[in-house]
Amino acid sequence: MKMSFISRKTASNLFRPKFYFPLALLLLLLVLPILPRNPFYEDLIIMIFFWGALAAAWNLVGGFAGQISLGHTAFFGIGAYTSTLLYLKFSLSPWLGMLAGAGLAVLVAMGIGSPCFRLKSHFFALATIAFAEVLRHVASYWRGLTQGGVGLLIPFKPRIENFMFRSKIPYAYIALGLMLLIILVSYIIRNSRFGFYLISLREDQDAAESLGVKTSRCKLIALVISVLFTAIAGTFYAQYLLFIDPDTVFSLPFSIELPLLAIIGGLGTVIGPIIGAFILTPLDVLLRGWLGAISAGLNFIVYGTVLVVAVIYFPRGIAGWLRTWYESFLRRLPGAKLSLAIEKTVSSPLLTSETSDPEDSDPEDEEIKSPLFEAQSLNKHFGGLAAVKDVSFQIKKGEILGLIGPNGAGKTTVFNLITGFLSPDSGKIEFKGEAMTAVKPPHKVCIKHIGRTFQLVRPFNNMTVLENVMVGAFSRVKRTKEAREEATKVLDFIGLLEHSHSLASSLTIADRKKLELGRALATRPELLLLDEVVAGLNPRETEAIIGIIKAISNQGITLFIIEHVMKAIMTLSHRIIVLHHGEKIGEGTPAEISRDRRVIDAYLGEEYLA
Amino acid sequence: MLTIVIQLIINGLLLGGIYALISIGLTLIFGVLEIINFAHGEFLMLSMYASYWLFQLLGVDPYLSLLVVIPMFFLIGLVVQRIIIQPIIHAPPLNQIFVTVGLSLILQNVALFFWKADYRTVRTAYSTLCLKTSGLMISFPRLVAFLLALAIISILLIFLKRTYTGKAIRALAQERRAAMLMGINIYGTYRIAFGIGIACVGAAGAMLMPIYYAFPTVGALFVLIAFVVVVLGGYNSLVGALIGGLIIGIVEAFSGFFLSPHLKEAVYFVIFILILVFRPTGLFGRG
Repeated sequence: MKMSFISRKTASNLFRPKFYFPLALLLLLLVLPILPRNPFYEDLIIMIFFWGALAAAWNLVGGFAGQISLGHTAFFGIGAYTSTLLYLKFSLSPWLGMLAGAGLAVLVAMGIGSPCFRLKSHFFALATIAFAEVLRHVASYWRGLTQGGVGLLIPFKPRIENFMFRSKIPYAYIALGLMLLIILVSYIIRNSRFGFYLISLREDQDAAESLGVKTSRCKLIALVISVLFTAIAGTFYAQYLLFIDPDTVFSLPFSIELPLLAIIGGLGTVIGPIIGAFILTPLDVLLRGWLGAISAGLNFIVYGTVLVVAVIYFPRGIAGWLRTWYESFLRRLPGAKLSLAIEKTVSSPLLTSETSDPEDSDPEDEEIKSPLFEAQSLNKHFGGLAAVKDVSFQIKKGEILGLIGPNGAGKTTVFNLITGFLSPDSGKIEFKGEAMTAVKPPHKVCIKHIGRTFQLVRPFNNMTVLENVMVGAFSRVKRTKEAREEATKVLDFIGLLEHSHSLASSLTIADRKKLELGRALATRPELLLLDEVVAGLNPRETEAIIGIIKAISNQGITLFIIEHVMKAIMTLSHRIIVLHHGEKIGEGTPAEISRDRRVIDAYLGEEYLA
Repeated sequence: MLTIVIQLIINGLLLGGIYALISIGLTLIFGVLEIINFAHGEFLMLSMYASYWLFQLLGVDPYLSLLVVIPMFFLIGLVVQRIIIQPIIHAPPLNQIFVTVGLSLILQNVALFFWKADYRTVRTAYSTLCLKTSGLMISFPRLVAFLLALAIISILLIFLKRTYTGKAIRALAQERRAAMLMGINIYGTYRIAFGIGIACVGAAGAMLMPIYYAFPTVGALFVLIAFVVVVLGGYNSLVGALIGGLIIGIVEAFSGFFLSPHLKEAVYFVIFILILVFRPTGLFGRG
C-alpha cells in the first residue's frame, strides 16, 4: 500500500517544475560533452566540470563546516603524484593509482587534521597553507622520486586501463561523473544529520557541542570526504594533461581558486560551487586569452579583485540571490499550481501535532529522596582567582533549583563545570549515581541527558528556527524526518511554530531565548541548566518564558536556573543556593533565602527585605 | 666544531632580527585588529621593490631609503586599512581571510605585471663585505640589518609603552569593548596599528634588499616564516615575536647546515605543528 502511494506521488512529481526543471538541466549536462565540435570548447567543458567538482569538494569542509582550508592543493598533488608514480614505476593502472592516491590523501588528512582543527579559523587557514608549501618543497627536493622541478611526463598510450583516451569525450564524461557524484554527496550530507551538525558547528561550535555534536569528529569526517574527492581530481588532472610538476599541482593559487569559485557561486550551498565554476571558468579562459596575451599576471589581478569585492559586498554569492529568482521562475512554469497544492498537504500535519512531552518519565514521581545530581567540593581557579571554592550541592529529581549571586560570583563557571566546558581542579560531580567528573567534551554531557542554555544567546544564525531545534533533536534520532517531527513538537510547545522557517538571526531577543530553550529541550534532557533566560526581557516576555519553564518542569524535567530577576527566581524555584566570591553562602527555600542576613548583605540588599 | 656552532648561531641571530621585524608587524595587526594579514608578505615584496627602484633610479642607498620607505608604507597601511580592511573588521573570519588573500593575489600579480618575474638585486659597495674575527665571519649588511631591526623594534616598544596612541593600541589589543568604553577612537587606532604593522614590514623589506633579491613572489617565502614566528611567540606578544624571530633564525641556520637548505620549510612546519599540538598558546602566550 505504501509502495503505491510513493509511485503515485512520484508520477505527479514529474509534472512539477521543482522536479522536471532540474531534470532538464541534468539532461543538458549529459549531452554537453558531445555538443562541441572543436577542441577549444571540449577542453573548456572539461575544465568547467573539473573545477566544479573540486570547488564542490572544497565546499564540504570550507562551506558546510566553515573550516577554511587554503591547502587543498596538497591533497590534489598527493593524488596526482601517487597515481603517476605508481604508473611510471610499477605500471599500475592509474585507476587503481587513483584509489591509492585517495587513500593516501585521506591518511594524511587524518594525521594533519586533528592538530590543525584545534586552531581558530585564521590559524587553521595558515596551517593548511604551510602544510601545502612544505609538500611543494618536498616534491621539488626529492628528485630521486619526483624528478623535482623538471616534473613527470606520462607517455601517451591510449587505453582504457591506462586512463588515457584519444578523444576528449571520455575525459569529459569522467569529469562530469565526478562532479555529479560530489553534488549528490553534498546533497545527501546537506539533508542529513551530519550536514546539520556541520552547519551548526560552523555557526557556533560551543552551542553545537552543548547539543551533543561531536564537533572534532564531524570536522574530520568532512575533511576526509573533501580530501578524497580532491585527490581523485588530482589523478584525473595528471591523466588529462599527462604532465605534472610541483609548481602546478602544489600551488597556492590553486588552493585559493577553489574557495573563490565556491564563494562567488554561493558558499555552503549544494549547487553554489558548480554555479561558480560555470561562470568563472569560461571567464578565466577568456581572461587568460585576452589579458595573458598583454601580460602575465593580469588575469590574477582581475581574479583577486573579484574575490575582494565579492567577499566585501556579496558574501552570499550568486546562489543566494538566484534562489529567490529561481523560485519565482519555477512558479511561472507549467505545472506550478499542482506543486503548490502538494506542498500545502505536506505541511499541514505540522500544525495539528499536539503537545506531547519530549521526556517520557512520569511526573508523579514526587518522592524527592535520592538526589538526581550531586556536586561535592567543586573547585576551579583561573590563575590566582578562585572562581568556585569548595561548592557542594544536590539537585533532587523534579525540582527547580535556583542559583543566585552577584556578578562574578562564579555562577556560570558552575554551569560550565557541570556541562564539561570546564573541568574542575578538584571535586566530584555525580548524575543519576554516575560519576560525571571525567565526562569532558560537552557533547558527551549532552548525551547523558544534561542540557544547557547560554547566558548570551547563541542561536545558529544562518539556520532557520526549525533547523536550529533539529540540531538538538538529532542527538536522539538519526533520521531527518524524525528530527523534523520532533523539532516541530518542541516548537509548538515553546510557541515558536509560526517562525519555523524564519532565520534565527531574524528573531527578537525574547524569541531567541525561547529558541535556545527549545534547542536544549530537543536533546531530551533530564536535567536542564538555564543561564539567565529572562534577563533583559520586558515583563510580558518574562511572563511568557516563566510559563514555558513551569511547563517544562511539569513534564518532569529537573531544572537548575541562574537568574538575576528576583521575581522570576523566587516564584519558580523550590530551593535556591547563593554564591558569593565563588563560595556558597546560603541555601534554602525562597522564603528562607530572602531573610538570610548574609545573602541580603552580599546580594539582595536592604531594599529587598523592605 | 665549536666555531661552526657559534658561526651558525651568529648567522641565525642576524637573520632572526629581520624575521622578528616582519613578524612584529604581523603580530601587531593580529593583536589589535584580530585579522591575519595574509598579504603581509606582499608588502615586504613591495618595499623591496621600492628600495630597489630608489637605488636604481635615484641612487639612494638601501639603508638611507628607510627614511622614505617607512613613512611611505605607513601611509600605504593607513589607506589599505581604510579601503579594504575596515569594511570587514567585524565580519566573519571567512570574509577576513579571503579579503587579505585576494589582496595578496592582486599585489603579487601587479608586481609581476610591472616588473616581470626577474630576480633583481642591489649591488652596493658593502654587499659582500665581511667582518672577520677569530675564525668567525660576520656579514656586514646582515649585521647592519640586525642592529637596525633591533633599533626599530625598541623604538616601537617604547612608543607603545609611553605615548597615548601606543597605550590606546595596547588597550585595544587587550580588550576591544572596554577600550571603546574608555573613549578610545577604535577605528583611528585600528588604522594606526595597521599602518605601523605595514611600516615595520616595509622597513624589513628595505633592509633585506642588500642581502636578498626581489621578485613578485618573494613575500610568500618570508611570510610563512613570519606565521610560524607569530604562533611561536604566542599570537599577540610583541616580545614573543622578537624572541620567536631569533629562534627561527637560529633553527634555519642549523637546519640549513645540517640537513639541507631546501628542507628548512619542512623544519618550520614540523615546529609549527609541534607547537600547535603541545603548546597551542605559543611559547610566550598567556593562557
